[in-house]
Amino acid sequence: MILNKKNLTPLLENMAAGRDVFVPARVDGVAKFALFGEGVECAFDLVNTTMPPKDLLFPQTQKMYHFDVDANGNYRIHEYDESREQVVFGIRPCDMRSIVCLDEVFLTKGFVDEFYANAREKLLTVCIGCASAAETCFCESMGVDPQAAPNADIMLQDCGEVYRVLAQTPKGEAEVANWAAFVEEGDAEPVACELSLAVNMEGVVDKLEGMYDHPIWENLSIKCLNCGTCTYVCPTCHCFDISQDMRRKDGVRFRCWDSCMFSEYTMMAGGHNPRPEKLERVRNRFMHKLNFFARRYGMSLCVGCGRCVEKCPVALDITRLIDDIGACDVAPAAQAE
Amino acid sequence: MSVVEANGAAAQVPENWEPKIIAFCCHWCTYTGADLAGLNRMNYPANVRVLRIPCSGRMNPQYVIEALNKGCDGVLVCGCHPGDCHYVTGNYFARRRMMIFKRLLEYEGLEPDRFQVRWISGAEAGKFRDTVMSVVEQVRALGPLNLTREIPYFELPAVPDGEEAFDAVPEEVVPEEVSA
Amino acid sequence: MTAQDTIRARARELLESGEVASFVGWEAGRFANQTTPLIISDPADADKLVFNEYCVNTLAKYVRDLVPRGKVGLVVRGCDSRGIVRLIIDQVIKREDVYLIGVGCSGAIDRKSGEPLKKCVECRHNNPVICDEMAGDEVAKDEPADRFAEVREVELMAQPERSRFFESVYAKCIRCYACRDVCPCCTCRECFVDARRENWVGKQNNVAENRFYGLTRVMHIGDRCIECGECERVCPMDLPLMKLNRKVIQDLNDLFGEFESSMSLDEGPEPLITYDLADREEFM
Repeated sequence: MILNKKNLTPLLENMAAGRDVFVPARVDGVAKFALFGEGVECAFDLVNTTMPPKDLLFPQTQKMYHFDVDANGNYRIHEYDESREQVVFGIRPCDMRSIVCLDEVFLTKGFVDEFYANAREKLLTVCIGCASAAETCFCESMGVDPQAAPNADIMLQDCGEVYRVLAQTPKGEAEVANWAAFVEEGDAEPVACELSLAVNMEGVVDKLEGMYDHPIWENLSIKCLNCGTCTYVCPTCHCFDISQDMRRKDGVRFRCWDSCMFSEYTMMAGGHNPRPEKLERVRNRFMHKLNFFARRYGMSLCVGCGRCVEKCPVALDITRLIDDIGACDVAPAAQAE
Repeated sequence: MSVVEANGAAAQVPENWEPKIIAFCCHWCTYTGADLAGLNRMNYPANVRVLRIPCSGRMNPQYVIEALNKGCDGVLVCGCHPGDCHYVTGNYFARRRMMIFKRLLEYEGLEPDRFQVRWISGAEAGKFRDTVMSVVEQVRALGPLNLTREIPYFELPAVPDGEEAFDAVPEEVVPEEVSA
Repeated sequence: MTAQDTIRARARELLESGEVASFVGWEAGRFANQTTPLIISDPADADKLVFNEYCVNTLAKYVRDLVPRGKVGLVVRGCDSRGIVRLIIDQVIKREDVYLIGVGCSGAIDRKSGEPLKKCVECRHNNPVICDEMAGDEVAKDEPADRFAEVREVELMAQPERSRFFESVYAKCIRCYACRDVCPCCTCRECFVDARRENWVGKQNNVAENRFYGLTRVMHIGDRCIECGECERVCPMDLPLMKLNRKVIQDLNDLFGEFESSMSLDEGPEPLITYDLADREEFM
């Protein structure tokens, strides 16, 4: 089945009836996933949005519950569930991989995050493959195929003039059944996407086991500013903080994105900070991306989208770090210790 | 046509809306002046909540933003007349700071009348009353604050015992012999 | 000998002789025309140093972290040197903590667009205001026509438009604090946003809290801002932060006399930490 690119807008208008459809767009100069509708110009030419799509599942600020006191002085809790039917249209394969990572975090190992689970269940994903890559893209090195996303409900492979439509889940098949007016029978060959940036991940996870105290972190962290840019533009960073707003005895408890780059992130109530300096914080971020997560979930937490490479104020580049780790002379025996 | 309608904000003004104003008053002059106004049984609108600060030089610009964010429609800062500061120079610093800060707020779109600074001495009970009355009327004419604030995000249902409860002294700070 | 050669040679000498413990400059990045800050302590690494028109980062802030290791060598252009002056006046470092190699700067170029950076077009002091030696000569550069043009642009808007403009700015802010972390004026040991116990600013991302952060930062640095424009450059959301900083600077100039922060080590107190009996009276 193929979908002509000319039919994209009519298709989106059709899909947006009664549902929230999010498309890549430039809103006030910021490239992000925006609600399709009046005044929103789809930007399918963007290889990647500046802001990742993770806020559709895990908003930057999310109300959890509201509490107050009843007439008898007992606290009451009123939960919020603001999840609704959402479609994300035009998400890229690297971002689809990031949803695999987030699913692992929020839905597996016996911990199910209700807020995430509700939103995830109601999300329909339509992934568009990449015909071209930005200079910062290195998804192939992280095991992502720029023209495939196995976990997407619907995959649109870019074939130049048309998209090749693949319904990959029952949800996707049901959706594609409604697309009859916009798609036609036929087949096309996906355009091969050429990536100019590649890193060698071989052995990196194992090597890092023995590199906790390696001088590489010192050299890396020294130029880091410790701002939160990389964590907020990262599609897989998922740390959050829980806090509340109170007015007398009423209040709202909410959670919001947090960043391991901030000094107060690990600050404990008694005043002790286990990661007091940049060194510990930078090491933690990259170890989490490349080692801790791989050990726990068997996959890298970096999906190769290149957003942090692009946006870092001091051009602290994870691909150079991976190269440097590869070049390090660490005996594999060190991991046994 | 009322002033509110002329302001173009008529559509958003809720019924029975009253402006909420915070007055940050220097302990040594204006707070005493407000006290004197009370002793003299002068009437002024209850829309103003007086908060005591040690000196106008202690006035942190953040207090103003926080007051606006948390639901006030106008902020008044009052201190001793220049030359009369209990700490000699506190209000000279405040004067510079507030001049800059007021311009910055107006630059960001706050109406000039919503943030005002006045020098009121301990003897000027009448000036305190007049200032409060004029600020309340000016803010009333402007209508509710037109900047996005935290309150809409908060979206709490109405406080069970009415809005008055929020305006009254919270019960937890009422001394026992009074409540008994 | 180009400025880059001189920098490399001097960095090596300074590190070898032990006069400085670390040296800060730039190195080439992974991509074409990209540079990234480089901090070295081994003389053998001196050849990694580069200096070209793609050196976009301002280096002064690094000195704060490096001073505990010993004296720091540093390449300074106009903006870097004013950052160093700022740190010295704010007593974050001492003059003898740094060895400054000055270099004239004709403005950095954005590697993507090939255009000069906005902050460099607006720069008024492209040559170091303070240094121990110069690598190469001072460079002449056109003065920007109007220092406050962008402020006036906003001032000309009607009031509701202005509030909408800034609300959209704050709506975009993700509060990554890159503007704070790159700023040579932001040297508080603990920033008010990190003081969770005092809870000055809430953690949720909304227009009101973002405005609280933005306005507070402007008031904190307003009279010390060196106009390096780094905050605006690093902002991942491309927020027009210099429109705020310059507004304060413009008002300070109008009200309290011409002032340009961090031009020399012996300048008087900044306008907001002093007063004058003859200041204009607006609050009578």
